[in-house]
Amino acid sequence: MDILEKLEVLGAAAKYDVSCASSGSKREKHFGIGSTFSAGICHSWTDDGRCISLLKILFTNECIFDCAYCINRKSNDIKRATFTPQEIAELTINFYKRNYIEGLFLSSAIKNSPDWTMEMLFRTVWLLRYKYQFNGYIHVKAIPYASLDLIRKTGFLVDRMSVNIELPSEKSLRLLCPNKTKESILKPMEFITKVAEEEKNFVSAGQSTQMIIGATDDSDYKIINLSQHLYKKFKLKRVYYSAYTPVNHDPRILKVDSPPLLREHRLYQADWLIRVYNFSADELFKSKDENLDLEVDPKVMWALRNLDKFPIEISKASYEQLIRVPGIGIKSARRIIKNRVFHSLDFEDLKKMGVVLKRAKYFITCNGKTFERFLIDLPPEKIKQKLTDKNSLQKPQQLSFFDREVFTSVITGEI
Amino acid sequence: MYKIFLYDGTFEGFMCAAFHIISEGIDKDRAIIVSKNEYQPMFIDSVREVQSDLKAFLEMRKGIIEKTDCSVFKKIYYAFLSDTEDKESYILRYLFLLFTHGKKIKYLYSDDIVNAVEKMAKNVSREIGKYMGLIRFCETNEGFLYAKFEPKNDIIKPIAYFFKNRLNEFCWAIHDVKRNKVAIYDRKKVQFLICNTLKLKVTHQEEMFQMLWKKYFKSMVIEERKNLKLQQQNMPKRYWKYLVEKN
Ligand code: SF4
Repeated sequence: MDILEKLEVLGAAAKYDVSCASSGSKREKHFGIGSTFSAGICHSWTDDGRCISLLKILFTNECIFDCAYCINRKSNDIKRATFTPQEIAELTINFYKRNYIEGLFLSSAIKNSPDWTMEMLFRTVWLLRYKYQFNGYIHVKAIPYASLDLIRKTGFLVDRMSVNIELPSEKSLRLLCPNKTKESILKPMEFITKVAEEEKNFVSAGQSTQMIIGATDDSDYKIINLSQHLYKKFKLKRVYYSAYTPVNHDPRILKVDSPPLLREHRLYQADWLIRVYNFSADELFKSKDENLDLEVDPKVMWALRNLDKFPIEISKASYEQLIRVPGIGIKSARRIIKNRVFHSLDFEDLKKMGVVLKRAKYFITCNGKTFERFLIDLPPEKIKQKLTDKNSLQKPQQLSFFDREVFTSVITGEI
Repeated sequence: MYKIFLYDGTFEGFMCAAFHIISEGIDKDRAIIVSKNEYQPMFIDSVREVQSDLKAFLEMRKGIIEKTDCSVFKKIYYAFLSDTEDKESYILRYLFLLFTHGKKIKYLYSDDIVNAVEKMAKNVSREIGKYMGLIRFCETNEGFLYAKFEPKNDIIKPIAYFFKNRLNEFCWAIHDVKRNKVAIYDRKKVQFLICNTLKLKVTHQEEMFQMLWKKYFKSMVIEERKNLKLQQQNMPKRYWKYLVEKN
């Protein structure tokens, strides 16, 4: 099989992996070809609107496991291919120097054995770093059940490593991945966290993971609660959510006609609230078996349930209070605080600072005044009706737009 | 009567002109800075040509940074690269504001001049950000990598310095086709030249890698998620002309 065909097979097989970031690398050492850019760079956008930043491929799609949701599982009759480390290294270098990509994202099915596979991934990145002197971004998957020693050796050569958690609960994992156990996923994850804390230059852009959404009946509460744990306990940089695309017919999988993209979008928003805005899963959800509101974003959902905490007064509110107002982001909150020192702010000023009044006006006062009379006394259902995000119901956004917000602000140097 | 200050079109030159206006206490509403090759003579103006001089430039830079900080200086530079008509007037007025208000200028969102300069700078930095990813090099028989682009703003300098760091091990040339400007890097330093046409031939290997990239680009699409509008939102059509994967 020639390289063109392999790239087609093993690129297509990797496309369901949603993580795309190439940011946050702090790897020292400057040698050879290329550099990493701490904010990450998108190099193209596919027809589905997702950003291409890394050459995302599988080392092989020949798998000895049989996970129900996976296109590459043993029991599927599909075209199989396996790269050599040399082939991947050459593709990476040649794509990199043409500025097609920011680096390599290397994942793999499990061929022969977990250790054989991990060894191949290690050899590939070793070749890239030492023979080709490649200094760009590399993200590699840690293979479940692979020896920790191999994972350790690989971790020193890459910017990011990730073990996929795959599913939000042990029950679902047992149902859909009979070959994998919770242990086989959490053990390497914990190991990577530990080594990264102790050693310099070990996965310096941190660790991430991904889980599949909508293939099982796990609730959004369960998902966000799990993410919260992963951020706290394992210090993960990102948890990615992948709306399940029906690739297999399997009775164990919930029937999905099309990937639940809007739900995925809401989960990213909730994740953002946990990671950046200091919300907790328990605050966002009233009960343990609850889902996010698809009609409004999670911050609006939370605010409507907590109307007793509003309205807040713009001239006095703390930063923590400000960022909890729907329509006020981190940037606007900081601007408000810096500006109100100079002069008092009215609604017009807020608009100029980028506050989305469409949402915020129900929850704030400026110098004791509401935006329009009676606005604040509206019942939650009425407000919700006005804020129902019709646009997003039709066109769910892809995950990359969160990153972009950070990305552009890093480039412009403003906060 | 207006006092016209002609400068050589460079950022340094512009700053020198601004330096003279500010340090000589000339009324800001009477002073106009115009690039030498864009100026059309009028009787009623008093015209003065300002020479670029490193000392004046450095003095201005120091003044700006002392009054505010580096990020503001960078903002001014980016605004200067903008293709906005009359950018010189906006930036000159911005400089006057800056020397009155100091750091506070960063928070004067409601001021029209501040707003306009912010917008120009943002537009430029966004375009630089996009092109960091969207420039495509090809390998030529002459032994260097070559890329063409047609940016809206005059961003070849920051782009070239970005690639100086990124592709430090290769020789390359980046060509702004619209302005006939070329940045050339010889593994030591970057040089900027004016140049109309370049006759180059791509290597044999080049075609293969372009084909591989196109294949890969196609294979990444998840049909169930197809969203051409989102693609265009992220990667507007004006960038497509020189993209291998889009041709
Ligand atoms: S181990 Fe990975 S590649 Fe193999 S079937 Fe499971 S998910 Fe798919």
